[in-house]
Amino acid sequence: MYKLIEFIRRIYVVLLFIAIEAIALSHYAHSSYYTQAKILSRAHTIAGGVQSSIFGVKHYFTLRGENEVLSQRVAKLEQELAYYRNKDIDEQTDSLSLEGIDPTMAESLSQYRYTTARIISNSISRSRNFITLNRGLMHGVMEDMAVISPSGMMIGYVVGCSERYSVVLPMLNIDFRTSGKIAGDEHFGSIYWSGKSPYRVEMTDLSKHADIEIGDEVVTTGLSHFFPEGIKIGYVESYAINDTQTSYHVTVRLAADMTKLNNVILIENVDYGEIANLENNPQHEN
Amino acid sequence: MQKNLTYAGAFLALVLLQIFLLDNISLSVYFHPLIYVAFIILLPLDTKPIWMVLLSALLGITIDVMTGMGGLNVIATTATGFLRPFIIKLATGHALGSDVSETSLHRIPEKNFRWYIIAMVGLHSLIYFFMESLSMLHIIHTLLRLIVSDIAAVLFIYYFVKLFIEKILNR
Repeated sequence: MYKLIEFIRRIYVVLLFIAIEAIALSHYAHSSYYTQAKILSRAHTIAGGVQSSIFGVKHYFTLRGENEVLSQRVAKLEQELAYYRNKDIDEQTDSLSLEGIDPTMAESLSQYRYTTARIISNSISRSRNFITLNRGLMHGVMEDMAVISPSGMMIGYVVGCSERYSVVLPMLNIDFRTSGKIAGDEHFGSIYWSGKSPYRVEMTDLSKHADIEIGDEVVTTGLSHFFPEGIKIGYVESYAINDTQTSYHVTVRLAADMTKLNNVILIENVDYGEIANLENNPQHEN
Repeated sequence: MQKNLTYAGAFLALVLLQIFLLDNISLSVYFHPLIYVAFIILLPLDTKPIWMVLLSALLGITIDVMTGMGGLNVIATTATGFLRPFIIKLATGHALGSDVSETSLHRIPEKNFRWYIIAMVGLHSLIYFFMESLSMLHIIHTLLRLIVSDIAAVLFIYYFVKLFIEKILNR
């Protein structure tokens, strides 16, 4: 017994080291982007204020460029609005004209609800990067909301929320997955990040029948419950047919510069809960 | 007591610098210097092994919680802390001399001191980057990340540790 105690006394540091490493390895092996985002959103209830101030200073120096992007976006939206106004005049005889409808009712008819947020923390140097926003549950931000740049390019989706902050799983995270397609074509592929460049993502399993050219626009499909259809992801930089000659592997140059993000737009799919309920309802599994 | 407070200050300063400054620099996917390992590097030479392991684990937990990394930093820092006595022996050989009353890193000659920092930073980031990628598929990419990040980390840590032991600890 004495010898055993003496032996343990001699190796207790090694035992402690092995125990800590085993716990950490097990925790790391079982952690997912979801659990990581949960921890991060909680940590930001403490550190969020400091992060916000630091990013605020950084933000100040990029205001000029950002204003330009916003002005271009406003001009584009004005153009689109003018188109719909003209269309509305053309359809004045139609009894279903939106004129006279309460604006709140018009909003409720839309499948998507939009809100804005400011980025307070953003990394690109890890393989599992996250973005933290200065809006949380108390501002109406919820998990599964899509996140796009002010110029309408895809960024990611919300995976964790605290009262005042939310954590986004951006495209620059190796766990990120969504579907994408070539604009104007209905064949779709799976989008993911290989971790090699902050300016490129990969699209696999795009049917060999897809109409593809270098420079083509890659957009969201609408098959995902997070993103509306047609959100721009990027442009085809290169593509190659796979070994089995069944599908294309495409390298997509991102439309959004993920290294220079400051403000984002959040999109809530109002119907998401209803769709998820229907899909999860066992009565439909016949 | 005052010495302990100074080390606590260094711990806090390094953690804050890592989380609020270096983690937010969006230069490149290859630039990810892990400077908080400087805390393990600058602990006194006579730190008991049990404290080395516990303090290294505490450092890793703090970074993990603040960055949501799920245990990756604990794995890397605890291993680095545990292996520090061996690294000191390897990097310094017999250059330490027999004066055991001097526990500061001052005892390590300049040339050996540089090797000590390079070895500690290299070991820590080797564990970190390979555990993060968990694959040999992108080994070139991982090695490039390791080299670029380590050059930046070694430069920062060398001057930080020098400043700490010469200007702050010996005040």
